[in-house]
Amino acid sequence: MSDLDQPPVGAPVDPSGLGPEVRQPWLERYDVAAKAGGLVAPVLTALLAFAVGGLVVLITTGKNPLATYRAIFEGAGFNWFLPWVQGTERQAAAFNMQQTLIITTTLVLTGLAVAFAFRCGLFNIGGQGQYITGAIFAVWIGSSFEGLNPFIHVVFAAVAGALCGALWAGIAGILKATVGAHEVISTIMLNWIAIWIGVFLFGLGGPLQNDRQEFVPVSNDIVEGAKLPVFWGDPVFQGLHIGFFVAIAGLIIYWLILSRTTLGYGVKAVGFNPEAARYGGINVPRNYFLAMAISGAFAGVAGAMDILGWQFRLGQDTVQQATIAFVGIAVALLGRNTAIGVALAALLFGGLLTGTSTRNLDPEIFRPELASNLTLLIQGLVVLFVGADVIVLWLMSRVRRRKPA
Amino acid sequence: MTSIALPIAARAPRGLRAVAWIGIALGLIGCWIALPPITARSWVWSLVVCLIAVMLGIGVLIRGERRFGAFAIASGVLGFTVGYLATLSGVGKLETVVVWSALIASTLRFATPLVFAAIGGMFSERSGVTNIGLEGMMLIGAFFGILGADKFGTWWLGLLTAIAAGAVTALLHAVLSIHLRADQIIGGTAINFLALGLTGYLYIDIYGAEGTPTDISGIPSVNLGFLDSFSFFDVIFGDLNLMIWFAVILIPLSWVVLFKTPLGLRIRAVGEHPKAADTVGISVYGIRYGAVILSGMLAACGGAYLSIGFLNSFNENMTAGRGFIALAAVIFGNWRPFGAAAACLLFGFSSALAQRLPEYSDSAAVLFQALPYVLTLIAVAGGVGRSIPPAAVGRPYKKS
Amino acid sequence: MTDAAPTVLEMRHITKRFPGTVANDDVSFDLRKGEVHALLGENGAGKSTLMNILYGLYHPDEGEIRIADKQVQLGSPSAAIEAGVGMVHQHFMLIPVMTVAENIVLGDEPRHADVFLDIGEANERVREISDRFGLAVDPKARIEDITVGQQQRVEILKALYRNADILVLDEPTAVLTPQESGELFGIVRGLTEQGKSIIFISHKLNEVTEIADRITVLRRGKMIDTIPAAGATEESLATLMVGREVTLRVDKNPSNPTDTLLEVRDLHVFDDRGIEKVRGISLDIRAGEIVGLAGIDGNGQTELIDAMTGLRRAASGTVTVSGEDVTTASAHGHFEAGLGHIPEDRQRRGLVLEFSIAENFALHDYQRTPDSRFGWLFPARLIERGARLIKEYDVRGGGPHTRAGGLSGGNQQKVVLAREIDRDPQALIAAQPTRGLDVGAIEFVHRRLVEERDEGRAILLVSLELDEVLSLSDRILVIYEGEIVGEFTPDATEEELGVAMTGGGRGEEAA
Repeated sequence: MSDLDQPPVGAPVDPSGLGPEVRQPWLERYDVAAKAGGLVAPVLTALLAFAVGGLVVLITTGKNPLATYRAIFEGAGFNWFLPWVQGTERQAAAFNMQQTLIITTTLVLTGLAVAFAFRCGLFNIGGQGQYITGAIFAVWIGSSFEGLNPFIHVVFAAVAGALCGALWAGIAGILKATVGAHEVISTIMLNWIAIWIGVFLFGLGGPLQNDRQEFVPVSNDIVEGAKLPVFWGDPVFQGLHIGFFVAIAGLIIYWLILSRTTLGYGVKAVGFNPEAARYGGINVPRNYFLAMAISGAFAGVAGAMDILGWQFRLGQDTVQQATIAFVGIAVALLGRNTAIGVALAALLFGGLLTGTSTRNLDPEIFRPELASNLTLLIQGLVVLFVGADVIVLWLMSRVRRRKPA
Repeated sequence: MTSIALPIAARAPRGLRAVAWIGIALGLIGCWIALPPITARSWVWSLVVCLIAVMLGIGVLIRGERRFGAFAIASGVLGFTVGYLATLSGVGKLETVVVWSALIASTLRFATPLVFAAIGGMFSERSGVTNIGLEGMMLIGAFFGILGADKFGTWWLGLLTAIAAGAVTALLHAVLSIHLRADQIIGGTAINFLALGLTGYLYIDIYGAEGTPTDISGIPSVNLGFLDSFSFFDVIFGDLNLMIWFAVILIPLSWVVLFKTPLGLRIRAVGEHPKAADTVGISVYGIRYGAVILSGMLAACGGAYLSIGFLNSFNENMTAGRGFIALAAVIFGNWRPFGAAAACLLFGFSSALAQRLPEYSDSAAVLFQALPYVLTLIAVAGGVGRSIPPAAVGRPYKKS
Repeated sequence: MTDAAPTVLEMRHITKRFPGTVANDDVSFDLRKGEVHALLGENGAGKSTLMNILYGLYHPDEGEIRIADKQVQLGSPSAAIEAGVGMVHQHFMLIPVMTVAENIVLGDEPRHADVFLDIGEANERVREISDRFGLAVDPKARIEDITVGQQQRVEILKALYRNADILVLDEPTAVLTPQESGELFGIVRGLTEQGKSIIFISHKLNEVTEIADRITVLRRGKMIDTIPAAGATEESLATLMVGREVTLRVDKNPSNPTDTLLEVRDLHVFDDRGIEKVRGISLDIRAGEIVGLAGIDGNGQTELIDAMTGLRRAASGTVTVSGEDVTTASAHGHFEAGLGHIPEDRQRRGLVLEFSIAENFALHDYQRTPDSRFGWLFPARLIERGARLIKEYDVRGGGPHTRAGGLSGGNQQKVVLAREIDRDPQALIAAQPTRGLDVGAIEFVHRRLVEERDEGRAILLVSLELDEVLSLSDRILVIYEGEIVGEFTPDATEEELGVAMTGGGRGEEAA
């Protein structure tokens, strides 16, 4: 054995993660970053992204980015948490907060969809397709079976959405497990296929197009019994529906699967070290499939919750413009694939999306159409800085070094 | 003592390829019988023939000849698609749909942006850097192409702006994946998000609700007057955009660069075995930076063609997954220029078909918009096992 | 060869430290024009480090290098090439999908019109050099289609194409068949006749005495001696190479073997490249004995173990664990049948470094009661066992929740050992169980293996360390080129084993 490729026996392993020999550098480094920083690294990542985003605002519009961020903060209803906000301002804040939490519900689930696959070493970039298929089935079942027991109806629609998402992601899982097709390309293609199926179904003359409004490319409305009850705010003005608890349940299930089941054990073992998993007697391809299917189920539920909770119908344009599942990628990455991290990151991005929506952002301060793209930009920057964790780690080491001095 | 060297698993038997060819032919026949002049009136015939084609393809695929199996499956799927639609519509309409020359011209138009991105992606992957940021680089090219053409007033300055913007975007990806040794998939995803956000942001900021002006200097078409008397060829080649001709030149040119120059040899060496290249004094980092930046420039050209060559406008996320399709074309084309270009033509053809069919058929035709993506999915599934990627692709190289 | 030949290379007082070890400790080395100078030493003696310094891949902490009487700084491979040093790495630096000529000219390509690659000219030049030095290869053949021996010639041609005068061959025969080795020796002699100087790295005694003019022996990073090859015997070299140091003897009672628990019959296994690495091996390991398998790295040990543990499909033959045929069973099936496996590489295979110690203990059994029931895992149970085993096996550096990756090598190995033994296997395969461990951990592993033998387990110990094999084994088998070439009792000397391990005992019949 030549020692050209490796340091001699006894020498400690290069802490930066040996380059070419390491199978999944991102997982290794990810772990290092997570251990090294705890909460500090993700917070620093987010701050860095917001700082660069603010710079873009400053350069392109000459406006004070802090004022913009403050407006977004209030538009998202985060001032509801501040005890000194009272009166009508508090009512407005509560309403905004409800909107933020509605989006957060979806983002938690789509974030979990990405995070779960990540834990098995897979990059599920196809949350969008899984979300759409879930939504399609939810709207189909929700708008049929009039008069069914509401509880059964809702559960039926949600489970169908979950199964559909699982099936859709499972295609990519099977392709990965059997022929080794890269999940990134296959899930992206499945996204577009799902979009066009949706466009077909709800398009004029399509099988699921609205029965009454012949010239609107949208589905039937779901029946009253299939709507999720609102528990905070006014149902007429889109209050917070109980899907929020489904998201919380999703977080708990995610945590339970990964830390309390043999399934989670196998998925994590394959994700961390497929070779050791194989040595240990774990069926690696089977776990690839299962991880993708479970991921898809989370995204499918997200789609179902949006339909049953507040959208109540699915239009052609919604199908084509649904980017919420992509935000899930940033949520999972920023949340470091932990349940609590996903929850916090989802709240952050939920606030960002709500605060930059046309309805909530004061156009005097910043144009909302611009702001929603600012959200995309910040999202990209978060992914960028998570990928370039070296930068964040370096910053952290600088901060640490300065402290004792 | 006998020699211990044994041949590695024998190459797939020739018989399989023959079967695959039969499948491909059947797929074409399945499509043909539904078209004029035969014009079978029931789609069942088409279905039967094409199903056989698909099954032959699957059979070949699972026996190891994945590439040709996938071709046969694709041929079957495509054949039935066309056949089914043809039988659905009346004979009269049919003759308008199947204006082959127009279809071919349309195929070229749809394939061109894919070709630029795919050739770019091929260089990047050949040097050992996975580039799923192609999509974002195309989008950047599309936006900055139209921005440059608008602000400078001429299309060629627009094109140059696009190329420069693509190069900068690619440089970011290069720094991430080469020096920072970030995960290349995450890096590429970041590029895609950033491109989406940045182009959307600037588009709204600069053009607002009115959209891009309609009088922007577009990349001109090349009118070949001498073809006027050959109507079939005239429809296809008589009035093609300049960028299409550039793409046509690009394919053999990139082949020459990759396989006939020292530079190409070095790019391939770096992608296969960076350490071997390093030990003979080749700068692994230098080659990789160059290849990734080139890929960004080419992808941006593809994007610029979309905005100022093809549509003469810009929409948010107008590339619609074309970067990923181009990447799939690279894989399906086995990391070779002509292979990738052929795959691009296939995807371009399905796009052209999908675009032309709805005009003549019912709402179901919209489903065929999904065809390029379905074909890509089949291609990735079938192409991966048999295609051999550059050995070091996706792995950061660390100098010792 | 006369002493009058000028010195072409001098490496003076080279010291190279890596964190935790000194790979080269004040090593001096010189090379004369036209000679073959062998560099002899065990694995890890520092031979490759020294040569990587010469090739500019490592930078020495102390010492200087002089080529043709001029001091040189070799900061990179390019500088080394410039100075006339060529290196044939043990793991070839060749691109399998390219042709011979493309590989050779890479980085210094002939061109026409300054732009295009002149492949015709490249083929021509390669042919010319290969004719001049008698290294027959087809310039147009692809590397992946030619034999390993031919690939090695390509590596040599690569150096010659760059006008190397000093040629380093790093364990060149490690990958060759005996016939190919014979051909290589012919090539080496031809090269020296044309004035090239050769550094020949090896740990095979027989070939060193055959090919070298002088021999320098390294042991644990130190230079022991440089002697003329004439008059050196394999025995005297083995003494120099291994040293007469106190060996770690383990106190143990005579073995009392009973039933055969692990049985291998006529096993043939191919590696990933389709080369037959195990060629008809049969083994019987009985309850209550440790059988040591000695051999130089790469003689089929890895493939043998993989096939015996279900990680690689055997081409033919059978593997039986306590009467159950497990030849085609999965890795899981082997564990179920009562086999324990301490893998060669604990970091890549033996442990999931990101998992806690307690989770690593559950790697084989997490799907069984009491670790889990109906898919529901009982972390408390994992932790309870983790705590128990940590105590029982004296794992230091953390509790059940500690990440395995945070432990030192010795403690990681204890985790693997504890996991495998605690499952109460009938038979245990221990592959390089002490690699990279410190003395204390080595002793612990050794003592534990003997205890398990006394418990009545059948143990197969595969090791590159002769000391270890001699002190632990009740019987010793020697593997060479995928075959068992000899069986020894524990009172065999290292020299006897060494000769068998290098094919010495049968060198004549093989050639």
